[in-house]
Amino acid sequence: MNTYYLANLLIFAGIDIIACLALNLQFGVSGIVNFSFIIFQAAGAYVAAVLSMPPDTAADYSFQIYVGGWQLPFPLPWIGGALAGALLAVPVGVVVLRRLRADYQAIALLVTSIIANTVINNARPLFNGAAGVALVPQPLQDQLNTNASSYQYFYIGLTAVCVAIVWFIAARIVNSPYGRTLRAMRENEIAVNALGKNPVALKMSIFIVGGAIAGLSGAILVGFLTVWAPSTWLYPETIILFAAVIVGGRGNNLGAILGALLVPVGFEEVTRLLGGLNIGPPNLIPALEWVCIGLFILGFLWFRPKGVVPETRRVFPGAASPVPDETRWVVGKRAG
Amino acid sequence: MKLDGWWGSVPVSEPMLTARDIHRHFEGMHAVDGVSMEVMPGRITGLIGPNGAGKSTFMAVLAGTLPASSGSITFQGEDITRLPAYQRARRGLVRTFQLPSEFAQLTVLENLLVAAPDNRGETLLGALLGKRYWIADETRHVEEARSLLKRFGMSAKESDYAGSLSGGQKRLVEIMRALMLRPKLLLLDEPMSGVHPSIVNEIAGYLETLREDGLTIVMVEHELHIVERLCDPVVVMAQGKVIGQGGMHMLRKQPEIVEAYLVG
Repeated sequence: MNTYYLANLLIFAGIDIIACLALNLQFGVSGIVNFSFIIFQAAGAYVAAVLSMPPDTAADYSFQIYVGGWQLPFPLPWIGGALAGALLAVPVGVVVLRRLRADYQAIALLVTSIIANTVINNARPLFNGAAGVALVPQPLQDQLNTNASSYQYFYIGLTAVCVAIVWFIAARIVNSPYGRTLRAMRENEIAVNALGKNPVALKMSIFIVGGAIAGLSGAILVGFLTVWAPSTWLYPETIILFAAVIVGGRGNNLGAILGALLVPVGFEEVTRLLGGLNIGPPNLIPALEWVCIGLFILGFLWFRPKGVVPETRRVFPGAASPVPDETRWVVGKRAG
Repeated sequence: MKLDGWWGSVPVSEPMLTARDIHRHFEGMHAVDGVSMEVMPGRITGLIGPNGAGKSTFMAVLAGTLPASSGSITFQGEDITRLPAYQRARRGLVRTFQLPSEFAQLTVLENLLVAAPDNRGETLLGALLGKRYWIADETRHVEEARSLLKRFGMSAKESDYAGSLSGGQKRLVEIMRALMLRPKLLLLDEPMSGVHPSIVNEIAGYLETLREDGLTIVMVEHELHIVERLCDPVVVMAQGKVIGQGGMHMLRKQPEIVEAYLVG
């Protein structure tokens, strides 16, 4: 395995971990089936791109059309990407989360994802339509003046810092009374409402947080790939992230990380290797990849619905009762 | 004369809740059809009637889970007709449900803690500020929850998942969860439903002690011996309307009520 491949794998793993942590907050912890998750990542990627690129009239960039082109220094494009994800979550959340029941929310969000992709695909003046934006400057590359290999290590470091920040935020949310109320809402929204909690405000707040983190993951992704087009954020990409959260363990940050390593990174890489076998027509292996992901989700939902690392039971210090089974935790720490 | 407790000081002679001419229609079907009712403080008001009488719908309208089609509800002098359920709960009007509504994947203690009001860690900002910011509130609420668990004989179940409890234990969790909110008026929708007969008397005993403490309760119930033991007055509903109210022994003497509900 060459170092270039390994570096790529680490960066993608970091981005997938960030995305899965965000989806876990929305879906695993709060029960919001956000089938439009990928559009928040896309929004972050586009905004980070146009914030860091020069105007589309600049030499070398005139072959494409896009809004913005402000050439802002790092980390402003990444912060802008996160803000874009958060801001997009506001109108989507207001329309979808306020009145619709959970199952209809999921359908509405899926439709939103398809509509967003179609609009961006066809509205060329926004982000260059189906061709997408290209030659996105990489963060601090001019200042660092390193070769491609060294820059990759720098990018791994940047991604790792972002993973640590997102992990810190997700852990604080999940282990707080706020996180507990979100979990209660996932279990029974009407009962939470009857206990004096506003479910719409709860859903909106975690939807915006998840949107911001998804936007950040998009900014990191576009900074590495340097290109971004509608074909990279089709709605099935969301399904892969859902598979990761389900396989890893819904409601558990550790499960989300494990799921990100198992499904988008591990599973996809293993099935990609099958491409080298040259079996059947050229599209057979990618198609089989999707079949395998579908079977993977079904298998886990059937045989291990709580995932590899299930949500932890929270035992408080001084509890009178013995804990009968499963993992024991004392407010975030493993107890004997 | 006034009734004192965590609900403040309430005059015994004034109704805590007044519902006037409440209607609730479902596409032409009149589930609640002009019900008026006054709830006096410190008592358990029973709400009985045959299946489909509109009792649970009326309770849902009182709690704000369902909006009224027309009519008005006043709670402690404030018109709450248009308030959503969570705002009514914050004012002290708290309900339980006909079907078990525990948070199955949360422990019993967590179920109670969810209901605790005024925890600084319950907002997004509070959560992000970290444990130091909210641990004092959390510790206080854990103590309160544990004293409730002790009172209801459920201490040993503290760390069990609520979904793994028996029907009766789930009912107790729901009642304790509602009490964590320090309600002024507790709406209990069939608290004995799905409960093993041996536990029914136990739950009734707990409700009796709450009444002795001075808590005001409205209770929908089908177990008439429990209603007789706990409730005064009793309101009888049939086909969405109130057809009688008073003491249980008095209601038994009214032929139209006996015919509508009490026979058998």
